[in-house]
Amino acid sequence: MTLNVILPVGISFYTFHGLSYVLDLYNDRIKPERNFVNYAVFVSFFPLLVAGPIERATHLLPQIIKKREFNYMKAVDGFRQILWGLFKKMVIADNCAIYANDIFNHSSGYPGSTLILGAVFFAFQIYCDFSGYSDIAIGTARLFGIDLLRNFAFPYFARDIAEFWRRWHISLTTWFRDYLYIPLGGSRGGKWMSVRNTFIVFLVSGFWHGANWTFIVWGFLNALYFLPLLLLHKNRQNIEIAAKGKMLPSFKELSGMVITFALTLFAWIFFRAKDLRHAFDIFSEIFSASLFTVPRFKGDENVFILALLIAFFFILEWIGREEQYAIARLGKGWAKPLRWAVYYGIAMIIFLFAGKEQTFIYFQF
Amino acid sequence: MMRKFILESALFLTLVIITCYFILLRANGKSDHFYLHFTSPRQHSLILGNSRSAQGIQPVVLNEILSRNDIYNYSFTIGTSPYGPVYLKSVKKKLDHKTKDGIFILSVDPWSISSNSKDPNDPGQFKEKEQYVGKTHFVNMNPNFLYLFNSYGKSFYQLLPRQKSSITLHDDGWLEVKIKQDSASMQKRLERKIKLYREKNLKKYKFSYVRLDYLKETINYLKHYGNVYLVRLPVHPRIQEIDEELVPGFNEKMRMVSESTGAPYLDMSYLGDSLQFTDGNHIYRESVKGVSARIGEWIASHND
Repeated sequence: MTLNVILPVGISFYTFHGLSYVLDLYNDRIKPERNFVNYAVFVSFFPLLVAGPIERATHLLPQIIKKREFNYMKAVDGFRQILWGLFKKMVIADNCAIYANDIFNHSSGYPGSTLILGAVFFAFQIYCDFSGYSDIAIGTARLFGIDLLRNFAFPYFARDIAEFWRRWHISLTTWFRDYLYIPLGGSRGGKWMSVRNTFIVFLVSGFWHGANWTFIVWGFLNALYFLPLLLLHKNRQNIEIAAKGKMLPSFKELSGMVITFALTLFAWIFFRAKDLRHAFDIFSEIFSASLFTVPRFKGDENVFILALLIAFFFILEWIGREEQYAIARLGKGWAKPLRWAVYYGIAMIIFLFAGKEQTFIYFQF
Repeated sequence: MMRKFILESALFLTLVIITCYFILLRANGKSDHFYLHFTSPRQHSLILGNSRSAQGIQPVVLNEILSRNDIYNYSFTIGTSPYGPVYLKSVKKKLDHKTKDGIFILSVDPWSISSNSKDPNDPGQFKEKEQYVGKTHFVNMNPNFLYLFNSYGKSFYQLLPRQKSSITLHDDGWLEVKIKQDSASMQKRLERKIKLYREKNLKKYKFSYVRLDYLKETINYLKHYGNVYLVRLPVHPRIQEIDEELVPGFNEKMRMVSESTGAPYLDMSYLGDSLQFTDGNHIYRESVKGVSARIGEWIASHND
């Protein structure tokens, strides 16, 4: 039996904002807001209403209260970030979704080689869908002169799982850190307390995504990946972005990135599967001889174009990995017409290659 | 500074929109199977029906025989253009209302007066309203943004003109299909189509009195603008068997419609043995010319 309750759009984000306000107030981090309009704008600020980033009262509320003035550079930057968000969502995520959905929904008919690529497509889909939305939200807020918290910082360039979680859905991770992990005792109670709290945070994070065992296993797996780093005190060894100041990564960095991506891919299969049985069926096919067959897809011609688009996206992300978002400083120092030509090119790619419209994945959470 | 930002943004967006507009204008008959139907202007004479007539009646042949230049094939598919409120509404929008001496050829077959909805006689359940014919409220605009954004469902780069395409929608609305016609391929496609129609479609579709009434309403509406003709196109004999199972006594029904509306009826189903089909359901382009010529001569005989 289920309860058919009509919930307001973005209920979980209202809740996070409301909780953040109450907890920050309780901990004397902020003063009570007496103006109801200011408070209401904080809780329901429209760009982040449906999929974040999850804001903090300490960060957003003062910006709402303060009188803002139009800032040309900020607005241009916001516009650029919206453009990049649209590219990620409409070109990469929506096109990957076509293949990921087909492969996961008909997994029994595909060999292991196709299934593993289906997981890769899903990895890019969920990243570009969610971070694309965040870019659009952050960019829109910047048009109003408001800076929102960063939500993604090139997570697929992470060299270990701890770094991945410092770069993936940052506003949720830090929310759980500040309002769950630390109040539970954090790492102050010794190693085992720290391990226990880490598992609690990841399991709660999994459960937040839905009451399905697949999300719990996904959270548990991530906690498990995290464990060796925690026990060996290596969870803070990669703070800066990979290959900072260099063109290419070292072999060690590259292998770290590949292993981390493979581990997250493994966990994404649980996240995307409809139930545990489905996930295990996919794994049994992946770890079979069919992994070494030529992958096949519905619409082979288009998958080649998608591969090119992903490569283009990946290169831009790598070039811009030291910035807030990939194209933040692309063409900085170039003549204005040339810079405009680049943005115009991106807009044209969005128009020509946008995939079939798909709902944002995180709208459901 | 805000003024500068707004002006620059507007300029950028205008540049992007203009380019997009011109890209969309380049779409041709190889880009999409239906798009050009919604970009052409209002028409004087129409061929209506489903995919059988979309591929099976060639306007250029009819125009030649009837010494006209205005016949346009506005047929779609079994799922999108069976006779009913949705198709009639679309036809009304496509028709040039100044027409006085138009020619209207309505291709009829058991599927065009049947429905796969739970209650075949409840127009509220007709599924075509959710399809592109139902959703494209403007049918004479170029580019047709409504069709492209609501129904196209593919990336727009696929709209760009392509030379290599086995399917071409001609400017006069005829959908030409070029396909391998060796006997093995033909047989394979025929078997596949029979399987689909017998095992899937025949179980889902039921004759609809409401659709039959809408066929009559369509005829009566078009009569104000010219002469209306009913045609049953030939199909492969094995497909025809399925047709007969779906609506037994189909020809009698059509003769009754013909009598009540005054629209002459031509049954060409007896030709099924002598023609080439792509899949048993659709006449192959080599045979289309002959079939179209027969229809043209039959119409000419009525006008003499």
